[in-house]
Amino acid sequence: MMKLTIDGEEVEARDGDTVLDAARRAGAEIPELCAHPAVSPYGACRLCLVEVKRNGRTRMAASCCYPVSDGLTVLTKTEKVQRARRGVMELLLARAPESQALRELGASMGVDEPRFPTVTHAERDCILCGLCVNVCREVIGAAAISFAGRGVDRALAAPFLQSADACIGCGACAAVCPVGSIEIRWGDDEVEVPTFGAKVPAARCEECGTPIGSAPFRERVQGQLAAGLSHATELCPSCKQQHAAAGLSRANRGTASTLPASARPVPL
Amino acid sequence: MTTDTATPDLSTAVEAAVEAYAGDPGFLIPMLQDLQADLGYVPAEAARHMADLLHVPLSQLYSVATFYKSLSLVPRGKHLITVCLGTVCYLKGAKEVAARIESQLEVGPRMTTKDGLFTFEPVNCLGMCGLAPVMVIDDDHFTEVRPGQVPDILARYSGKEN
Ligand code: SF4
Ligand code: FES
Ligand code: FES
Repeated sequence: MMKLTIDGEEVEARDGDTVLDAARRAGAEIPELCAHPAVSPYGACRLCLVEVKRNGRTRMAASCCYPVSDGLTVLTKTEKVQRARRGVMELLLARAPESQALRELGASMGVDEPRFPTVTHAERDCILCGLCVNVCREVIGAAAISFAGRGVDRALAAPFLQSADACIGCGACAAVCPVGSIEIRWGDDEVEVPTFGAKVPAARCEECGTPIGSAPFRERVQGQLAAGLSHATELCPSCKQQHAAAGLSRANRGTASTLPASARPVPL
Repeated sequence: MTTDTATPDLSTAVEAAVEAYAGDPGFLIPMLQDLQADLGYVPAEAARHMADLLHVPLSQLYSVATFYKSLSLVPRGKHLITVCLGTVCYLKGAKEVAARIESQLEVGPRMTTKDGLFTFEPVNCLGMCGLAPVMVIDDDHFTEVRPGQVPDILARYSGKEN
């Protein structure tokens, strides 16, 4: 445990916390776009800027990547911080001018239109935060996409701008993207990620045949489940419910349950 | 995955590059540089083969290959013309030198001539600012270049002297 001061209040934090973690717990509101609990900090968007004061020196830092330390003083809402964040927001809006999520966040910070030229509409609405790349690599383990190029040419891409063969159609990239720029089409036969030109077969409920997401993703999940639990991925939610209900009523009637012993409700 | 798409020549080049560094993925950049030197560019099939051999995601390899200007994903011309457009060279007239090359060869930045002889690649600072403007063809350096010298310099490489 260590003590730091956030906006004048003394706060306790654990070793390994970031300034963002500690500030949030203390109730400070810090805008952020690329700090995702499932993915290691990457510090790309720079929206979470705060002032940190240590040994008498003040500097601006990205709170999501700044580790707490004893005696640290943090300022999260000074005029200087807010001005810097607005500047960052303008740059982000110039990159993803069509993102509704970003426009709303910008408006809440008092930024409506960026002063900078925006990227052309043909280019993808993307703030290059890297969340999709990192979730795909770190959490899913597919590493189907990456950044390509650098400087003004930097872009998110599937290898060689061809279709991403390694994509398993899990949808994690679309789920984490803070500006909603990745599209997933959940079809009856296929799951398609047009952003990366990827297509995988859809999985279907073993009972009623309803499409339930991507088949390769289901396979991967099944491989990670304990034996005997793989049935959890075989049914659609409504068939699962019916099974559970049927199991319960059987249990009430005193018939032997079909659930494995470990999964049976423990009598109180 | 799709190792079979690499043709024998490409496979040999890839395997040589990988073996030169004992297959250690930490040497990905030198491996790609060797491949570039050997084949003149990094073909997609070669990259796939290399990714398979190293057990490195193809996406990572692509990311590295597009980051460095010395690596190219498309075939380059027989001769690489590099013109420095860094601050000093720019102030000393590199822009005019580049314009002269572009109009004479009918290429734009990072393009290759129709006859496959030249690729034109503007860069930013070659570390020879004292001799600005600087132009490099393959390994030959030309310093304090004037636009009027461009035709003569290019002639030395186009096979038709004088
Ligand atoms: S597509 Fe979305 S998640 Fe991926 S880098 Fe761009 S903004 Fe970030
Ligand atoms: S949330 Fe900290 S840099 Fe994006
Ligand atoms: S600016 Fe051209 S060599 Fe430095």
